[in-house]
Amino acid sequence: MSSKEELLKRLSDGVVEMEEDDVAEAAQEYLDAGYLAFDGIMEGLVDGMNRASELYEAEEYFVTDVLLCSDAMYAGLDILRPHLPEVSGDDKVTGVIGVVEGDTHDIGKNLVKIMLETAGFNMIDLGRDVPLARFVETAKEENAAFVCLSTLMTTTMGGMETVIRLLDEAGIRDKVKVMIGGGPISQKYADKIGADGYSQNAVEAVKLAKRLLNI
Amino acid sequence: MAEIKDFQCTYDNSAGISGEVTKGLGLTFPDAYLHHETIAALSKALKEHDKAAFCELPFCHTVEAEAMGGIINYGNELAGPRAKEYICTAPEELLDLPGIDFSKGRIHEVLLACKALREEGEHVVMQVSGPFTILNVLIDAKHVFKGMRKKPELMKEVFWKLGDEILRFMEEAKQYGADLISYADSSGGLNILGPKMAEQVVEDFTYEFLKKAEALADDKTMILLCPKTTFALLGTGRARFRDMMLSGAMAYGEACIEMTGKAKLAGQMCIKNVGYQLENAVFKEVVLE
Repeated sequence: MSSKEELLKRLSDGVVEMEEDDVAEAAQEYLDAGYLAFDGIMEGLVDGMNRASELYEAEEYFVTDVLLCSDAMYAGLDILRPHLPEVSGDDKVTGVIGVVEGDTHDIGKNLVKIMLETAGFNMIDLGRDVPLARFVETAKEENAAFVCLSTLMTTTMGGMETVIRLLDEAGIRDKVKVMIGGGPISQKYADKIGADGYSQNAVEAVKLAKRLLNI
Repeated sequence: MAEIKDFQCTYDNSAGISGEVTKGLGLTFPDAYLHHETIAALSKALKEHDKAAFCELPFCHTVEAEAMGGIINYGNELAGPRAKEYICTAPEELLDLPGIDFSKGRIHEVLLACKALREEGEHVVMQVSGPFTILNVLIDAKHVFKGMRKKPELMKEVFWKLGDEILRFMEEAKQYGADLISYADSSGGLNILGPKMAEQVVEDFTYEFLKKAEALADDKTMILLCPKTTFALLGTGRARFRDMMLSGAMAYGEACIEMTGKAKLAGQMCIKNVGYQLENAVFKEVVLE
């Protein structure tokens, strides 16, 4: 039988190497051996995802690679998560994320979500082509600390400014940080519409969220 | 081998569809996206607003996928047609999708609009999407990327199934009079695929596909490439630029019109960058190796 360290390494390596089936198998062996699910997630799966982020930052991995790494991570999470002790999610900071109405390009958004989840945020993913008011409603319902808006199209960029206005009208703008990103978006645009921050890629998005929320 | 460079999309010279453009046309949306008369009127209004040398068709990248069974949200005057929900959950299912029937549906209306605009003396750029863009409407991109890594032969088959449909669309566009046929697949750009996968796509598909597309160019038709595609070809050594002199400095779109019949493939700039000027009067033909 493999030791805990060996299984953790298999989980981490499986994520980095995008081997979904290997990760699922290792996660099951890990549980069967009686080790703690929490350690398997943090020291195995999340460790692997962090290594994948480093490779992405070093431009050795690309968007497609990281998406496949995350699939492997989620395959392991599906097995380990049900074995976590019941804890309230109160200690996790919640963020709402989505692609604004009119746009369906969601690869970048998915990547940012994965990176933020790996960094320990509780992310509520509204998907793509999201009606603008839903960002505000969800932020209110979930008591979110931040909202992440993404778009790849110039024609839908204006929706980001609308979300900021709607947050204001709902009286929660001062409680919710707004981060924006996507192909045509820039710091200049973020400043123009009054967003709290802009990030160029998924790794920067995590740093930005932590900075804005003083984490 | 040279490295593939990326081309940053800006296309901020074209205003896109807005109230300002459609005012006074009496159009209702999304109905205007569905009929050849209104498609042609909208295309002409955009051309005039942007002061472009040509009309563009269609206004979205969903007509091919819709004609293969994709589900579309037609949108409104602010945001045009886009994908609604995916119809496939595995790459294998893509192979069973029907071929395009060009005699019906929105794709037929687009072709009729092209014919009408040409009859009015307009130059028409028919914007044809590549496989990644079409797939974006049909299936979650993660299945495509996973397929490329785990089942490359299957994905090659998928690309070619779509490639054959795209070539048929190009042929139809030509028959309906389009003088400029633009090919773009920005959803499969270097920034998303990374250099290794981008090279794989050129070798498995794009190069051979464009050889076939190039054969459609003649004295009345030119094929335009998105610069992302041009750079992928240059970076893999599958193409080179050949400089050709224009009659003078002019906008890129005007240059493409002037060089139709003399050059087969263009691709030094994005055709949506309507104000881009070739100050030195040099047109760069893309020559496939």
